[in-house]
Amino acid sequence: MELFLLSLGILTASGLLVLLLGSFRTLCHWIFSASLTLACGLIIFVAFLFLRSDGTANFRAPWPVPFGEFSVGLDPLSAFFLITIACVALASGIYGCAYLHSYHGKKNLGVHYFFYLWLIASLVLVVTAKNAILFLVAWEFMAIFAYFLLTFYDEKRSVRRAGQLYLIATHCGTFCLFVMFALMGSSAGSMDFDQMALTHYGPVLTAVLFTLGLIGFGVKAGFFPVHIWLPHAHPAAPSHISALFSGFLIKTGIYGLLRIIFIIKDLPAWSGPVVLVIGAVSGVLGVLYALGQHEIKRLLAYHSIENIGIITLGIGMGLLGNATHHETIALIGYSGALLHVLNHAIFKCLLFLSAGSVIRSTGTGDIDEMGGLLKFLPFTGHLFLIGSLSICGLPLFNGFVSEWLVFRSLFDGVVHLDKFGIILAVMSLVSLALIGGLAAICFAKAFGVIFLGQNRSHANGVYKENPWMMWVPMAFLAVICVWIGLFPKTMVSFSLTSAASFISKEIIPAEMDSLLQPISFFTKVFGVFFLVLSLLILLRFFLIKRYPVRLIGTWACGYELLAPRMQYTASSFAEPILHLFKRVVCFKVHRSEMPLTDFPKELALSSKVVDAPEHFIFSPILVLLKKISRVMLKLQSGYIPQYLFYILFALVALLLWKFPWGK
Amino acid sequence: MMTSIWLDMALAVIVILAICLLGTSRLGSIVALFAFQSSILAAVPFLLGGEIGIHKLVITIGTLLVKVIFIPYMLLWAVRHVSIRRDSPGILGVSTSLLLGGLLIALSFFLSSKLVLSGKTFSGLLIPSAFSTLFIGFLLLISRTKAITQVVGYLVMENGIFLFALLLFETTPLLVELGIFLDIFVGVFVMGIIMNHIQNEFDHMDTSQLKSLKE
Amino acid sequence: MILVVSVLLRFVACLLFSPFLLGVIGKTKAFFAGKKGPPLLQPYYDIVKLLQKSGVYSLTTTWIFRAAPLISMSAVLIASFLIPFGDFKAPVQFWGDVILFAYLFGLARFFTVLAALDTGSSFEGMGANREIVFSCLSEVVLFLNFTVLVVLSKSFSLSQMIGDRSWASWTAVGPSLILVIVSYFMILLVENSRIPIDDPATHLELTMIHEVMVLDHGGPDYAFILHASAIKLFVLGSFFVTLLIPFQSHSLVINAAIFFAGMTGLAVVIGIVESVRARLRMNRIPSFITGAFVLALFGLIIALARAS
Repeated sequence: MELFLLSLGILTASGLLVLLLGSFRTLCHWIFSASLTLACGLIIFVAFLFLRSDGTANFRAPWPVPFGEFSVGLDPLSAFFLITIACVALASGIYGCAYLHSYHGKKNLGVHYFFYLWLIASLVLVVTAKNAILFLVAWEFMAIFAYFLLTFYDEKRSVRRAGQLYLIATHCGTFCLFVMFALMGSSAGSMDFDQMALTHYGPVLTAVLFTLGLIGFGVKAGFFPVHIWLPHAHPAAPSHISALFSGFLIKTGIYGLLRIIFIIKDLPAWSGPVVLVIGAVSGVLGVLYALGQHEIKRLLAYHSIENIGIITLGIGMGLLGNATHHETIALIGYSGALLHVLNHAIFKCLLFLSAGSVIRSTGTGDIDEMGGLLKFLPFTGHLFLIGSLSICGLPLFNGFVSEWLVFRSLFDGVVHLDKFGIILAVMSLVSLALIGGLAAICFAKAFGVIFLGQNRSHANGVYKENPWMMWVPMAFLAVICVWIGLFPKTMVSFSLTSAASFISKEIIPAEMDSLLQPISFFTKVFGVFFLVLSLLILLRFFLIKRYPVRLIGTWACGYELLAPRMQYTASSFAEPILHLFKRVVCFKVHRSEMPLTDFPKELALSSKVVDAPEHFIFSPILVLLKKISRVMLKLQSGYIPQYLFYILFALVALLLWKFPWGK
Repeated sequence: MMTSIWLDMALAVIVILAICLLGTSRLGSIVALFAFQSSILAAVPFLLGGEIGIHKLVITIGTLLVKVIFIPYMLLWAVRHVSIRRDSPGILGVSTSLLLGGLLIALSFFLSSKLVLSGKTFSGLLIPSAFSTLFIGFLLLISRTKAITQVVGYLVMENGIFLFALLLFETTPLLVELGIFLDIFVGVFVMGIIMNHIQNEFDHMDTSQLKSLKE
Repeated sequence: MILVVSVLLRFVACLLFSPFLLGVIGKTKAFFAGKKGPPLLQPYYDIVKLLQKSGVYSLTTTWIFRAAPLISMSAVLIASFLIPFGDFKAPVQFWGDVILFAYLFGLARFFTVLAALDTGSSFEGMGANREIVFSCLSEVVLFLNFTVLVVLSKSFSLSQMIGDRSWASWTAVGPSLILVIVSYFMILLVENSRIPIDDPATHLELTMIHEVMVLDHGGPDYAFILHASAIKLFVLGSFFVTLLIPFQSHSLVINAAIFFAGMTGLAVVIGIVESVRARLRMNRIPSFITGAFVLALFGLIIALARAS
């Protein structure tokens, strides 16, 4: 616990230090990276140590805020999230140093580093706070610091707008959380999480609390209809900040949801089905919207919604299993969700960082302007490939392990649950299978169009690989991806432990072994896979060696030559599948009028996917709000006597209200 | 027990054929699929078990004559006559109507699980498949534009009703059944005449064009 | 030790027997067309001949283009370890191996698609796109088929789902089993790009799916691709055959004979389907897969109705 507090101290102190030393560039730079590495290393160490032993660690200090207490504590759930934060924060922080190198002198990076370090500190506080007030304060700090990091390119109008949208969305969510914690606290008589967990809430109150929590945390996590801030915020931020956003910030929503599930305990019967439906809808629609994007970071942002959907499916199975007293289903569902939190954080961070590296090299984020970059950016390209394989949930990589756990809990649900449960499980199964397939399409598109083939841009330049400070953090993440993918046992057992403590269940070692037994088969199967693969490689090597290899252009199917413009673009790759789902995602194709001459000069064709909730729900609300505000604006005329009149009015109203009318 | 499994199989095949009908757009295949479905339907009374009486024989032979031979023959004649080979799915695409069909099957199983019947039901699949066939016939009627497919849709619906009627098999007098046959016969006959007239008047059989008649 | 031997035997069976299936399909089609057709062993000759050729590579390509055939071949070979061949139990079986089984094919496909995009050819981009779109849809149906089998067998391991048939007396679960089998057969055709989905023998690139995707591969690489697709047919087909024929015999030789006869029978059936059906228009294929989906759904509903 002392080490943990020490790391918090390092983060805050060095944050202040870099703020003060902002003008000394190199020094500031080194302090930032050193303190970040140290603090994250400490956090990982503490969390691992904690997960290996069992027990709890708490720290309390009085705090003058009403009902508040500076009470932080580790439990398996927090420890699991701490590992995630530390990995993501470390990689994207170091990467950020190099990424922002060209901004030295133009902007005060000391301020940026300060916000970064304090954001990490507040994230750490969010997942370890044991007191509702402390939690809310950390939550609010997190939102504010994230806003400042997000609006790094504040000279751009679109960035400022994205920042505003984020701020509005997150505060709408926070409002729900305030109400929720106030209700909880007033019925528990304390703002302490442990006290709250012991309290029994009535059925109506439980339903209200759960709904509020679902909305409040759902906005942060990016559940389907309230996800609209995500696709705007991610492309606006610098890449390492998008990585942090997608990697961890949205997971705080998941953490909060899990925490209140843990606290409330006797959840209403509809909670499991509702969460499953939210998960299925977010997953499928997230990936479908992602398919329609041709801007790389927007595409990745929609994929975050998809992965949040997968995590939510796991949580839904956990809820359903708990409600029907099938502990194994609940255990595997929750542990799948937890592991996917970690996995998604790792590979999405990796993908965002490599996307940033691509953008930095090419100067554009438009996929259709890229192509053939694997030759120019070998490190970035291969790391992006590892990330894509992981996010598609393909075997050998970490995404597969957590998706397997979620699949397994769903299939267990099919075997053990009653009929209604089976229908839900089958629905989720079908959507999860669909998500897997669609994600494969989307990343075949992304990787294929960006890194393979010929370059499509008109500039036809030569691109340079980025400095090692950028790809080493990415390689670190990629190694974790492969490690969890090939040797999943450690992390799966950690996630099982966390999930077990979460549903207050003791796992005996024998049960743990039986749960881990299929996982241990993975390693063996993959071992055989590599054996077979290396044999085949040897065989091919000897076969190819006999004759000299000829290198010529790609066969053009009888035409003279292939031009880069003839390649399949991202839009054309996504068109067939989007056409199939056009009623679901509002897919529209615009084509320019064909001129009625014999030799048409130029034709244009573009396709786009309209984000339905944004256009059909939130934009109308915004228009309405603007109308109302215009009316309200009349109250603020800037005319002093009018304000004096308001004061008088308020005074009289208060007097009339509180006046001791003769009894 | 052996009869029950064959009955279940036959019922499943009847619903599968109805699904196939939803997925087919070639008019000839549609008629052929319908004839096949009806021929299996004709066998169902024997699969119910019990002794083979004159009642069953009449029903089976009647079904075979009317639905397997006469109506398909007439429809095929119409197909040749009007020289249209394909039906185009209307507002709903093929995939959508297939998925809707799947949903309707689920709905019919749900409905029949809620339905309480006093009599003998022979098989747990009988009522759901009757409902499914009925619904899918209706869907066919809605989702297609050509008159011939609509006639087939109507007939598939009728097949569903026939399956229902099997529940009351032992209590319905033969006369009623024969009346139903006569009904279909006349119905199809009238439709044939109407089809012929649409053909003559408008030079095609697309009923969606009929809306141009409204003021 | 026994495990190693059985794994090796499987390996050999897969490698040796799978091209034979393609030969049988070709012979059946020739028979229906009233022709003599290529010899049964033609696929073997093709593969051996291709293995002896030299490599030709496009300048656009990277290592992915060269590695994809090997990766997809190893993935389908590994998938064969998870599935029982008739009465021969799978050497690797665990609770939840179905998902690994399905995703190994996903891995193979992903790399093949990337290799196609690697060439930068518009035709191969088109083929890659079609392949991955249709397989995305068919994967959903495949999982639904698995679900029906899970409901019926109350087990979640391939060997018990299809190999151990104590749950599946035809009298009890006949209708759902028939539906699963029909639906699975349709998916088998989609996954292996056979008529009515894709015509492996067509000569116009615009109408192809799988073949156009591997246009640029040649020499040993193309041999690996051909062989891998044959093995894929073998592995997915053995799922079908194992499900369809419950084995009773205690003799190893008879079991093996029945299994291989079953596989040959499957190849003949595919050949017949290919002979009597025309291939579908490209935009009708999703409807075909939807049809398979609805059949599997119907099977699931019946299975659930039975369960209560």
